[in-house]
Amino acid sequence: MFPVRCFTCGAVIAHLWEEYKKKLAEGKSPKEALDELGIERYCCRRMFLTYKSIINEVARFKGAVG
Amino acid sequence: MEVEYVEDREDKIVFIIKNVPVALVNSIRRAIIGHVPTMAVDYINVYMNTSFLYDEMLAHRIGLIPLKADIDKYNFQDKCECGGEGCPNCQVSLRLNVEGPKTVYSGDFISDDPEVKPVYDNIPVVELYEGQQLMIEAVARLGTGKEHAKWKPVSICSYKIIPKIEISDCSLCKACVEACPRKILEIKGEKIVVNDILKCSMCMECVKVCEDNAIKVEETDNYLFTIESISMPAKEVLKRAINILKNKAVEMNEILKHINS
Ligand code: SF4
Ligand code: SF4
Ligand SMILES: [Zn+2]
Ligand SMILES: [Zn+2]
Repeated sequence: MFPVRCFTCGAVIAHLWEEYKKKLAEGKSPKEALDELGIERYCCRRMFLTYKSIINEVARFKGAVG
Repeated sequence: MEVEYVEDREDKIVFIIKNVPVALVNSIRRAIIGHVPTMAVDYINVYMNTSFLYDEMLAHRIGLIPLKADIDKYNFQDKCECGGEGCPNCQVSLRLNVEGPKTVYSGDFISDDPEVKPVYDNIPVVELYEGQQLMIEAVARLGTGKEHAKWKPVSICSYKIIPKIEISDCSLCKACVEACPRKILEIKGEKIVVNDILKCSMCMECVKVCEDNAIKVEETDNYLFTIESISMPAKEVLKRAINILKNKAVEMNEILKHINS
């Protein structure tokens, strides 16, 4: 799941995650999307750029174990 | 002491404080980070959790959700009449009862006190898949940043020196103009001028490249202070921090009187 806050500065970022995803789906570059969302610091920006959802990977094995 | 606002938004203020000792500026910063109380979830009762996240993971994520609250209405748990057991004067329960498939958002919590609620309703907490279920009671209480970072009222809270740049006997070689990483130096006519002194990071690159030792960057007693708040207006954070400092100073005076008598 996307981190609720930036690891470095502690700003809340998770409320912008779905908007960010929508902007990427519209064909915008990550830079444009982050600029539009008003995320200025690079600590918060890397949270968006480097995030990978693990929970839907795990979900593929639902029922196979446990 | 002079204060001048550079940026003045509800969630972010930037201001200049002039002619103050650095110790005072730093004590304001530390009071903001460590002593201004806010509300956050500190304890959760898990009645049912068949999601992919462990209970501890959920507790961690729920704890980080910022809560809006009238903090004057609540007591610190250790100073409450209930003696720390927990009562409506010192804690609030937020209930969550959801079934998958669905993404659980911070807005799905049902609070006992309608005034205490998440600042944002769309923070994803966990994704539930078919047949998964969550039944949680999250207990929020007052706390300070001294105890855990989730109670910090701010994200960025910092200050920097506004330096004084002096240029004399300059040969206009332009080396400093090119070296400055913030691009704030410029040649205007027969002189080097500083465009935006607030942007200067005091990196001293300009001093290093100047062969004539013509440029000087000096520390001053003026500071640029930035506060970015999370769950209450930035100005309120500042006001509360200064009040806390004031009370501490009064307390200190009492102690001094006691020692001297
Ligand atoms: S100290 Fe650094 S930022 Fe400031 S004027 Fe010199 S080169 Fe530019
Ligand atoms: S590097 Fe020194 S001499 Fe050259 S323009 Fe800058 S201040 Fe003047
Ligand atoms: Zn950040
Ligand atoms: Zn109580």
